[in-house]
Amino acid sequence: MSQDFNKPQRQSIVGILVMFAYSFQGYAKAFWPLLVIWLFKFNEINKIYFFGGILAFFAVIGIFSYLRYLNFTFYIDQENDEFIITEGIFNKTKTTIQLHKIQQVNINQSLIQRLVGVYELAVDTAGSNKKEADIKAISHDLALNLKAHLLLNERKNAIDKNGIDLSIAILDEIKTEEETPFIKISFLSLLKIGVTSNYLKSFLIILAFFISLFDHIKQFTGRDILHDEKIENYVDKSQILTVSLLLFIVFFMIVIAVNLVKTIFKYFDYKIARQKGSLLLSYGLLNTKSTILKPEKVQITSVTQNFFQKKMNVLGLKISQATGGRNEDHKLAIEIPGCNDFEKDEILKLIFQTIPEKGVMLKPNFRKLGFALFLSIGLPLIAYYFFRNLVIDQFPMMDYFVLLFVVFTGIIQFFLFKNNRLYIHDNFIILQSGAWDITNKIIKPSKIQAITTSQLFWHKNINIGSLTLHTAGGNISFQLGNFTAIKQYINLWLYRIETSDSNWM
Amino acid sequence: MKDFTNEIIDITQLPKFEEIEFSSLHPNYWKVKLLNIAVFFTILGIATGILFNLNDEFFPFIGEFSILYIILLVIVVFFSRISFKKKGFAFRNHDVLFRHGIIATKTLVIPYNRVQHVALHEGLFSRIFGLAKVEIYTAGGSSSDIHIPGIAKEQAENIKQLLMGKIQKQL
Repeated sequence: MSQDFNKPQRQSIVGILVMFAYSFQGYAKAFWPLLVIWLFKFNEINKIYFFGGILAFFAVIGIFSYLRYLNFTFYIDQENDEFIITEGIFNKTKTTIQLHKIQQVNINQSLIQRLVGVYELAVDTAGSNKKEADIKAISHDLALNLKAHLLLNERKNAIDKNGIDLSIAILDEIKTEEETPFIKISFLSLLKIGVTSNYLKSFLIILAFFISLFDHIKQFTGRDILHDEKIENYVDKSQILTVSLLLFIVFFMIVIAVNLVKTIFKYFDYKIARQKGSLLLSYGLLNTKSTILKPEKVQITSVTQNFFQKKMNVLGLKISQATGGRNEDHKLAIEIPGCNDFEKDEILKLIFQTIPEKGVMLKPNFRKLGFALFLSIGLPLIAYYFFRNLVIDQFPMMDYFVLLFVVFTGIIQFFLFKNNRLYIHDNFIILQSGAWDITNKIIKPSKIQAITTSQLFWHKNINIGSLTLHTAGGNISFQLGNFTAIKQYINLWLYRIETSDSNWM
Repeated sequence: MKDFTNEIIDITQLPKFEEIEFSSLHPNYWKVKLLNIAVFFTILGIATGILFNLNDEFFPFIGEFSILYIILLVIVVFFSRISFKKKGFAFRNHDVLFRHGIIATKTLVIPYNRVQHVALHEGLFSRIFGLAKVEIYTAGGSSSDIHIPGIAKEQAENIKQLLMGKIQKQL
């Protein structure tokens, strides 16, 4: 089937549905607090207005989706070798991509697209990190065809040297070149990782959620739920411990549930495919994201695993790549959640050619633990000593909480210290850190951009100091290690970097 | 293949970055520093002066404020002096080193083949004294950039040329 891409054409007609779903998702995100409040005041408001409003809301989104569909066209300009997309209802946008700049064309399918049976086609170019062009709804045949035409140019150039025109053969070749994923992260692994990671992050998100919810309710109803006397009346003073324990457990369950849902939504159907020496990642339930990972651009590779995850044989991988821009380092970290040991080794092998080894181990000096304890326990205790008289009358239990805090923080600091290690191998530098989630950051010495050493003047005699390795994907710091050893390794690394033309990007 | 050798590197024989001599900054740079401090404290003094004129309640405390002002001035000058004394730079055959820091001594090393670009910067006071700042950037983010202040303009130009030459050679 040969299609003509020379004339502007629209997406599949069912694309309207896809656009509707995406727009709805966006608006729902923006307006959810309003919706919650409406539900709270459901009995007080006029039902006709309520449903009328919702109907109007849907109608407006529908009309906009239709208009967006009408105004979205794409075609290939054969004369100038350009791929052109025009879009926008009021503000028209025309995106022009030169064919020779196209690096990657990805065909994906998110849940919504799967439901209506269309595909998404995204074009990646050199010189930019975001998707340049994104066609949200086209049929599979059309997508493959378009991809072939878009990539034809590149292949033709490669073959032109041989002087044979193989356009049609190449077209077929590209079409049949389905990326076969070599790693698929199973739903079970996602479940495991969702249940066992990111407690703190989810906890903070949920806390923020509740605070903003209470704030909205307070603004609209004028009632402060948190300090409502009614709540206190429900609970007997003697039961306060049981209730708070129960609340804690419920809250913890919510955290886990939210975590699980978030992980699944974000990383559903995680596929990793190999393509011309780079890795092609695609994932996502509602919005499918796809990224390319070029092994030579990888700067820092972090492997994170905690006790539970070790028992269940899952771990998280995070890979940061070098970027042209200076401020984009953090955004470009690619996460691969829920691989098992075998998959991790496969990915590491692709990035590093071999499996990284841990070499000579450096431990931090015990003063690091001492200083950390002073900062996290000593200072708060001093503060508490001065303020104790002010709060002890209101909260007689305060002393116990402080004790609990001291023990908890102490244990965390101890494990932080115990797990902090720097392993130096000829080809790899591995920094191990973390109290519960233990992270191993792996870099190659050739990726080092600059090295900083730091030493406090009272540490000179006991010969300890700190080391920071700067890479294009972030820094790696190791504090209060044996300074002589550190300096020796720096000299070795500098020698290696300066005598070779190894490519760091 | 015949020319290829691969001997064991004796780590103890490698050139040691910790043993090199650092060149200190141009003495005039201390004057630039003092001028900067003077400007800052003049503005601070004028601002507090205006505050005192507007608000009578503060007036009885003018003595305490003066003492505080002087103590602050002494501390800032003292630490600036230490910072000035501690700053030093060195250019080796293959890398550039910069030492700085007041309480902690920090040494930053950038191999020439990791330098992205080099810039010269002249502040207002620096220009009066014929000084410039050499800024050396890498791809490692702002924490791995070297800014060497207080270098005579001519020397700074030479350093820039030297670095540019080294970078060119790498490409």
